[in-house]
Amino acid sequence: MSNIYLPNLARIVKTQNETYDTRTFEFELIDPKAKQAFKFKPGQFLEISALGVGEAPFGLASNPNRPETFQVTIRAVGAVTRALHAKKPGDLVGIRGPFGNGFPFDEYKGKSIIFVAGGIGLCPLRSLIEPMLDARSAFKDFLILYGARTPADQVYPGRLKEWEKMPEIRFGMTVDVGNADWKGNVGVVTTLFPKLIQTADNTVVFVCGPPIMIRFAIIELSKLGFKPENIVSTLERYMKCGVGKCGHCAIGHKYVCVDGPVFTYKEIGKLPEKS
Amino acid sequence: MDRYIIRKDDLNRWVEALARTQEVFAPTRVEKEIFFAPAPAGIDLNLLSGTAALPYLPAKDLVLPHSENLFHFAKKGGDYELTVPEDKKTAVVLGIRSCDTSGIFWLDKFYQENLSDCYYWQRRNNLTLVTMACNQPGKNCFCVCCEGGPFLDSERDEFDIQLVDLQDSYLVECKSSKGKALIEANSKLFAKADPSAVKTREALEDKSRKSFPPEPTSYMSTAIRRITSNAVTPETWTELGEKCFDCGGCAFVCPCCSCFGVGYLNEGEQGCHYRFWDSCDYSGFTREVSGHNPRGEKGERFKRRFFHKLSYQYLKRDGRIGCVGCGRCITACPGEVSMPAVVERLRK
Repeated sequence: MSNIYLPNLARIVKTQNETYDTRTFEFELIDPKAKQAFKFKPGQFLEISALGVGEAPFGLASNPNRPETFQVTIRAVGAVTRALHAKKPGDLVGIRGPFGNGFPFDEYKGKSIIFVAGGIGLCPLRSLIEPMLDARSAFKDFLILYGARTPADQVYPGRLKEWEKMPEIRFGMTVDVGNADWKGNVGVVTTLFPKLIQTADNTVVFVCGPPIMIRFAIIELSKLGFKPENIVSTLERYMKCGVGKCGHCAIGHKYVCVDGPVFTYKEIGKLPEKS
Repeated sequence: MDRYIIRKDDLNRWVEALARTQEVFAPTRVEKEIFFAPAPAGIDLNLLSGTAALPYLPAKDLVLPHSENLFHFAKKGGDYELTVPEDKKTAVVLGIRSCDTSGIFWLDKFYQENLSDCYYWQRRNNLTLVTMACNQPGKNCFCVCCEGGPFLDSERDEFDIQLVDLQDSYLVECKSSKGKALIEANSKLFAKADPSAVKTREALEDKSRKSFPPEPTSYMSTAIRRITSNAVTPETWTELGEKCFDCGGCAFVCPCCSCFGVGYLNEGEQGCHYRFWDSCDYSGFTREVSGHNPRGEKGERFKRRFFHKLSYQYLKRDGRIGCVGCGRCITACPGEVSMPAVVERLRK
C-alpha cells in the first residue's frame, strides 16, 4: 500500500524573485523513477514541506506539458513559507502530490477563454494558461485580465510583458494604486470588463484572486450574462493532508483537496456555507 | 454466520489463550473510570455486560491513536533519510459495544475511500473486534436511533464476533474470517448453539430495544431533514454555538470523529512529522496564515460539526450518519450541547 503522507524529496533547481515577498521555485524530484512518473494537471496542487518546520499546499504554477521540473510561486507569510524562502538552489524539500481535481482541460476546447486574476491568484491559473497557449488553435478568443495592488505586486513581470505583445491573445492589466512609472490602467480588475469582455456566449471565465476580488468579479460577470456553470475558480482552504482525510478543508460535503480545488460557481452555489 | 456457545467459566480461558499470541484489550476499571486496557490477568466479567458503563473513551485510539509519527527524518550529508514507523502488533478488543464497533466500521469506510490511509490500515488489519451486545441500555444511550445497536445485525452490520449474555453462558455469533480464526484456534471451548439459544437472543434484543429511556432518545430524522435542506437559521446555530466551550471533548470521545492536525518536530538534524486528534470546534481549525478564517464564528463551526454528522449529503457519501448513539458527548459536554440536545433543539 502506498503511503499518502510520506513526501518525495525534491531539489530546488532555481528560484526567481517575483515581488518583494514572493518567489517562484523550480523543483525536480531527486528519485529518477519518481521524476519520470511525475505528471500533473493544470490546477492541481502540491503539499510542500520544509522538513521539521511544516508543510503547506501550493498550486502548481508551471506548464504541465513540461513536468520534468515544476514551479510553484510562494509568498513569505508564515513559518513554512519563510522557511522555504530561506532555502537556496540545491536544497531539498518534501513534496507530496499532485493532489486535487485540476481543470478539465479538454472540456474548454472550442470555447472562448477569459482569465480574471488578482495578485498571486495568477499563479495557479498559469498552469492552465501555458498549456492553452501551447494548443492555442483549440480555443476561440483568448483574453487575460490581470490586476495587482501596485506595480510592485505583479507576479511574472517578464511573462506579462510577453503576453502583452502576443498577437494571439488579448491582454489587459491594471493596478489598484499606480506609481510615477506606471502608465497603464489604474483601478480594480473589474474596471477592465466593459472595455475588453465582448460576449458571454460560448465563453468560460476563470477567476482567481483574493476573496474580495472574486466576490466583485462574480457580481460583474453575472451582470454581463455569464452563467454560474461557466465561471470557474479554485477554492482556498488550509488543506493539511491533501488527501481528504484530515477534515480541515471541508466545505459542506466537499473536500477542497480531493473534490476541488477547481469548482464552477454552480457547484459553489450549492454548498451550504460561505465559500 | 456461525453460532456457538461458550460457558462464562470458560471465557477467561479463551482470553488467556488469545493473550498468548496477541494483546487483548477489555473494559478495565482505572480508579473511577472504565477504559479499554490490556487485560493480561483475565477480564472482569462484570464490566463486560449487563448495565456496566461504557468505557469513557471509544476504542478508536487502537486504530487512530491520539498522536502518531508519520515519518522520521534525519539529515545524511546533503540528503535526508526518511523512515516510517511500523506497527505490526495484533490485538483483540473484547467487550467493545455495538456502538463502538459501528464507529470503527464507519471509520474503515472513510479511511478506505479516495486514497487509502496505510497507518490506519496496518493497525486495523491486525485488530479483531469481539462485540458485546447490550441487553440493557445505559442512561445516556440512544444507539437505537442511530443504527448503532443495541445488538449488531448480521445482515445489516459488519462485525467479527458478537457475544450475547445468556446469564450462564454467552452466545457467540461469528461473521468474519478474522473472528473465525479466534474460535477455531480454541475450538474446545465452543459448542454449537442450539435453536433455543437463538430464540433467547431474539427475546433479549427485543426487550433491550424496548427499554431505552425516553431521553435522550433522539428524533434524528427531523434534524437530518432540517440540516440537509439548510433550514436551520444562522441565529439558531449561533445560539447553540454560544453554549459550546470549544473544548473539543465531544470530538475526542466520539467513535466517528477522525479529523486530525499535523505537527512537526525539529531536533537539529533530525525530527518527525506527526499527526494528532484535532477538532472542528477549535477556532484555529480552518484559520489560514493570512489571518483569514472561513469558520471564525462559533455558530459556523457548530453548524459544520452537525452538518458533517447529520446531513443527507454525508449520509449518502458515508452510508450512515456520523453518530452511533453512544451518548459519550452527553457526559463530555460542559455546555449541554451534545448530540441529543442539539437534535432536540433543531426539532423545535
